[in-house]
This record gives sequence, structure tokens and C-alpha cells, in this order.
Amino acid sequence: MRLNNFQNKSLEELASTLSVSPINKALKKFVEMGLPSKKSEAYRYFDVESLLDGEYESLDYTPKVINEGEEIVIENGVITTAPQGVRIYYEPYKQIDDNYFDPLYYLSHALYPRTIKIEIDGDAELKIVHRFTKSYAIINYRIVLFNQANRHSTIYEHFEGELVQNSLIMYGYDMHIAQDSSFRVVKVQTMQNQNYSMLASHKINVAKNASCMFKSFDLGGDHALQFLKIELDEHAHIDAQHLLYLNSDAKRGTVSQIIHQGQHSTSNQEAKNILDGASRGIFDALIKVEPTAKYTKAIQNSKAILLHEKAYMISKPQLEIYIDELEASHGSTTGQLSPQQLFYLQSRGIPAVEARKMLVIAFANTMIETIRDSRHQELIRNEFDKVFYSKED
Amino acid sequence: MITLDIQNLEAKIGEKQILKGLNLQLEEGKVHAIMGPNGAGKSTLSKAIVGHYDITVLGGDILFKGKSIKDMEPEDRAKEGIFLSFQNPVEIPGVNNAYFLRTALNAKRVHEGKEELNAAQFLRLMKGHLEELGMKPDMISRSLNEGFSGGEKKRNEILQMLILEPEVIILDEIDSGLDIDALRAVSEGINKMKDGKRSFLVITHYSRILDYIEPDYIHVLKDGQIVKTAGAELVTQLEEEGYDSIVNEQ
Repeated sequence: MRLNNFQNKSLEELASTLSVSPINKALKKFVEMGLPSKKSEAYRYFDVESLLDGEYESLDYTPKVINEGEEIVIENGVITTAPQGVRIYYEPYKQIDDNYFDPLYYLSHALYPRTIKIEIDGDAELKIVHRFTKSYAIINYRIVLFNQANRHSTIYEHFEGELVQNSLIMYGYDMHIAQDSSFRVVKVQTMQNQNYSMLASHKINVAKNASCMFKSFDLGGDHALQFLKIELDEHAHIDAQHLLYLNSDAKRGTVSQIIHQGQHSTSNQEAKNILDGASRGIFDALIKVEPTAKYTKAIQNSKAILLHEKAYMISKPQLEIYIDELEASHGSTTGQLSPQQLFYLQSRGIPAVEARKMLVIAFANTMIETIRDSRHQELIRNEFDKVFYSKED
Repeated sequence: MITLDIQNLEAKIGEKQILKGLNLQLEEGKVHAIMGPNGAGKSTLSKAIVGHYDITVLGGDILFKGKSIKDMEPEDRAKEGIFLSFQNPVEIPGVNNAYFLRTALNAKRVHEGKEELNAAQFLRLMKGHLEELGMKPDMISRSLNEGFSGGEKKRNEILQMLILEPEVIILDEIDSGLDIDALRAVSEGINKMKDGKRSFLVITHYSRILDYIEPDYIHVLKDGQIVKTAGAELVTQLEEEGYDSIVNEQ
């Protein structure tokens, strides 16, 4: 399959090519929007065309027997393992967003019509492992998540794909955070060049009085974008934190829309970006406050440290506001490691390489330390070490 | 015995030459004070000894126990046993004070062929020194110098000194920004380090600190050179007559 071949095809032609019904809503929307290109707003700073031009094997997503295990494992788009008590179904998703800004959100839904639906009962802590083992493949799947009202859940998301070559992953969540609940997602993803690239489109609906935390720790190389569209109901809250630590010629980042729809909704979005080599970090983030969202509070901030003269940060925090009754702020800074701080550490006998690492970790620490589980804090720091020392080699 | 031997040192910052053939010898176990007017080159001298990136050495040499350190990296000079207490210690948010100090100590211990200290061993050591200096236990977990008062920063410098046990200690304006109580506490910490072997280089504008740390030698630095060396009695002359009196003697 070559995604570029979908360009300029009519709905009927595409439906026939993909063996999808021409009345499929997602496919219709995809055809309306067309394939993304450099000219697409959401992909302006990302070389999507080379990914779409790759020749990929299509996979079979026939459900398999789900083995019992401690974590949910999704291998090449199919669930293979899940803990006891977690309710998982494969079924069509009928609440596809009508106005998602990434056309691949719709293509992904069209190509994966029976989504993985996960219902989380009660207070829960789940680990989801995304495992990729197929090289030169397009691995596409959608996950729909529901939690329960008045409950508190956490998902730790990890990725395993060291053994694959040149695959393209398209996946994403449609999350429904129930009223009066809290939901936390901690995503840790270390990528190395030539393994796989990723385009992930997530839609998060945060219901009245609910609170959602979405923290992404994206480390290493290769090309990946995560798209987030978050809708906030009355008194709903989102805490979105994104840490990027890139090396080589990686191009990765976040393109997001946080939409305040309900009164007294609050959002806090923070991006910290550490860029080495010839990498490019992307933080293209819009906060939109609808006329219905009086007394909104919205904070957005991006900070970047460039460790190499060829590293480059694109930071575009944006506010789109349709009311006067709100508190909102946004900002963006880009700089380098402080030579005074480096020298101070060296003057106490700490080698230059270690001193740099300490400062890099220090910059990230304020975000890492907000993870409640100390084992996960340690895991993230270990991933940092891997990326840091792989660069030194 | 001479621990630090600075020979005909010439150094510049940017395009401006500051040190112009400076000669200075630090004796083992002695306290040397460097005094001089603004712009004489006092801080440049301290930076040149520890290998600060601002400084370009144009000529001369710096020998530590007979070995040239002029071309060494700052961290190697530190591991050899040279310590600079900074006038304005930089704040480093996110770097835990204890983690930083253990990393520094273990780097030195490895350099000396000793075993590294584990976290528990190090914490015992650090807590002991915190008590000695009258510092709060939360110094262990706070970020390095972040939000510290002027006095806390200087005490933290002394804490580092106590833990790292250097052989040559350079104190750059250690008294600046300290009230009397903090000055006394810092001075006590420094005096504890006197063991008859360590050498001290106290860089100061004012004689106040020398009431607490008794010097063996006073050196007057003017226009990038040492223009006079004498005993502690020189302090009184400087206080009464100022630096001009020394310069006019030349």
C-alpha cells in the first residue's frame, strides 16, 4: 500500500480500493480533506510526504484470542494480552469527530472500522504496550476508551518496536472521560531512526467536572507527530505536558487543539523541548475558547533548549478567544544550556559530558517529578540515559 | 613546600589583557590573602587557576604540586584538588544538591583510586557536615542553590569544600553579601579546614573577612601584577592609607 496513491481519488474509487463502504463517514471526511501535504496547516513543519510515499505492507487485523496478563499488549494493531477484569471489544465507533483537523484521523478510522474498545471499571491503573514486529508495514489501529464517572484511572503507555524497520504506525485514541472522574495518561516513547515513524491522532472528550492529565515523554530519533484534540465541558480540566528530547535528524512533536466549550473549564499545557543533533521539535498548539466557555482559565507555555547549532524548534502557541470573561496566557522561549551552570558543575570535578546530562535532566525534571509512580520516574530517566549516551557514541 | 606556583601568568578576557606577568606562590598550610582595588585582576586570577571559559591564558604557567595544570579541563583541576568558592554561586533548578555533591565526590574518589560512596554512605557524610555548619536538613533535597539566600549559598559552598576536601581553596569575595552571623559561620567552616597542609587563597576587597580567617601573607594585586607581599600587618597599612600608598612605594 502506498498512501500517496489515495491522492485525488473519488470516494467510490477509494472505497473500492480499500474495500470500505462508500457511505463510511470517516472515508467521506478523508476524501473531503484529502491527503496531508507540506501545505496542510497541521503538517507544515513535518515532512509527511516522504512517509506517504513509502510502500508498505497492509496487515490483517483479525482479532486473536486474548491471553491473560498484567498489561494490555497490542501487537501490530491486535490485542494479544489483557489483565483480567478489563472489558475489551472490537466494535464500530459511532462518535467520530466531525471536525478533526488531521485527515489521517479519518483515514485511520476508515481503515480500522472495528475499533478496539476498552472500558475501564472502577479505579484502575493499566499499562498498555504497543508492540510492533512487522517491517515495511503500515500498522493502523484505533482505540476507544471509556472510564466510569467518579472514578480515577491511570494509563501508562509504552512502545516496543526496536526490531522493525521502516514501518509507519498510525494509531490513536478516542477517549471519553466521564463526568466527575479523573483520568491520567503517561506516554513514554523512545524511537530510533529506521525503526518506525508514527502519526497519532487522539481525540479526548473531558466531561463536566472531570479532570484529565496527558503527559507525553517523546525521546530519541525518527519522525513522529502526535495530534491532540481536546474538548472541555463545564468545569472540566486538562493538564497536558509534553517533553521532547530528540537527537540525530529527528522530527517530532505535538500539534494540538484544546477547545474550551463549557464554563469554568481550565487548561494547562506545557511543552519542554530538548533538541540535539539536527533534530526539529514541533509544538504547534491552539487554545480555542468558545463563546459558551465563560470564566475559562487557560495557560500555555513552551520552553526549548538547543544543544546543537543545527537543532531547530518550531514553537507556535496560539490563542483563539471569543469571549472577554477569561484568564489566559501563553509564552514560548528557546535557549541553550547555560555555560555558567556547566562550568559550575565542572569546577566541582564533574566531567563535561556528565555535567551536560545533569543539566538536560534538570530541565526535564520538573515534568518527570510530577509522575506519581517513582518506578515510572526511574524508567523515564533510564530512557533519557539511553538517548543521551547513544548520542555520545 | 609550594603547592601552587603561578609563574609569570598573562591572561586576557575577550580582547583585554588583565594579568600581566603575575607571580605568586602558595605555601602548604598557609593562608594567602589577595587584596587590590577594583579591576586589579583578582577574580581573573581565581578564574585562571580553575580554568574558567572566559579566560585565555597568553603566557606563563600554573603549577600544582609541580605539575602544570594550565591546559587541563576545569573538572580535572578540581579532581586534582583545586576548589574555587564562587562569589555568586549559580542557581541550577532541577539538580538535586545531594545528587550533585555525591556525583562530584565520587568523580574525585575514582580519580584518587578510591571506591565510590553509595547513597546511604554519602547521606551520612552530608548530614554530619550540615549539622557542623548549622544548615537545615532540607539542603539535601533542594535544587542546587535555587532560591537560596546569599548566606545559604555561601554556606553551601563551604559544605562542598568540607565534603570534597580540596588541597588548594580559593575563596573569591566569600564575605560579600553576608551579615555578621553568616560571616562568622562561614569563617568557622573555613577555619575547620585548616589542617597545616591545605593552602588558602582569600580574595577580598575588604579586611573584614581577615578578622575571622587569619592570613599568613597579604599580597597586593594592582594592574595584573602582585606589587607587594607582606605579613598580616599590611592589612592595617592598607586600611589606613589605601592602595595608593602601596603603589606609590613602588
